[in-house]
Amino acid sequence: MARKPQENPKAEMTPMIDVVFQLMIFFVVTIKQEDIYSKLNANRPAPNQSSSSESNDTQIKIDIGYSGLIFNGRGVRMNELRSNLKQLSATSKNATVLIRCTMDSPHGRLVDVLDACNQYGMHNLSIFSL
Amino acid sequence: MAKKPNNEDASLDMTPMIDVVFQLIIFFVVTLKMTDDKDTTIKLEDGSHGIVLTQDELPPSQLTIDVAKTGRVSLSNITLTDQMLAAKIRERKAKFGPDFPCMIRADQKAPHRHVARVMNICAAQGVWKLSFVAIAEHKKPQK
Repeated sequence: MARKPQENPKAEMTPMIDVVFQLMIFFVVTIKQEDIYSKLNANRPAPNQSSSSESNDTQIKIDIGYSGLIFNGRGVRMNELRSNLKQLSATSKNATVLIRCTMDSPHGRLVDVLDACNQYGMHNLSIFSL
Repeated sequence: MAKKPNNEDASLDMTPMIDVVFQLIIFFVVTLKMTDDKDTTIKLEDGSHGIVLTQDELPPSQLTIDVAKTGRVSLSNITLTDQMLAAKIRERKAKFGPDFPCMIRADQKAPHRHVARVMNICAAQGVWKLSFVAIAEHKKPQK
């Protein structure tokens, strides 16, 4: 009778180890490594606010369509837009960038443009919808 | 004499094991909660030059609006109508002012009209400082 408690502690370990392994397996299988996210700030002027009243010379206009980009009235590719923004950012980072999107343009392209603006420190970004 | 050391050894061995179990349970409860509260169908565009989102960038006042490719607008994976979204934003604005962090998590293939709709709802409530969420760094395997 006095020897029994000696055996009991050893017997109790087994389910505990089982639980630990179960948890480990469950947790390894279910937990996915999360991506690291970033945020890109932009302004959305109120729908009734008109953009035409502002002066044109300090503005950069980027139009985003279904299939491409227009930078200050000229069709460009993404890498050309980046080099253009790089040049402009050297003179003024405070210039207002007007980003106008057509309704059918994919959102990913808008994010690309915002990212390019952020890359060169342009922080006055306004998004309009056409 | 032979009984005592054996008994003590066994009970001493249990403590770290129990610690590990509790640690694991706590870790797993905390991490599991985070995966559930967003629309997991959304595939974000890459944007490595934005402000990296840390816990400091996610105060309780922040609002993350999910916009799926299909145009489904949701908060914490609960689908909202335009009126419900407007009410939610009005509530936030009343509580925290118009400069609370309002983030839009929109799918890279979502047509702009869905995003424009959400932006218009925000702007109509006087919230015109918006942020778009992008992926700064890929950690999970891409499908």
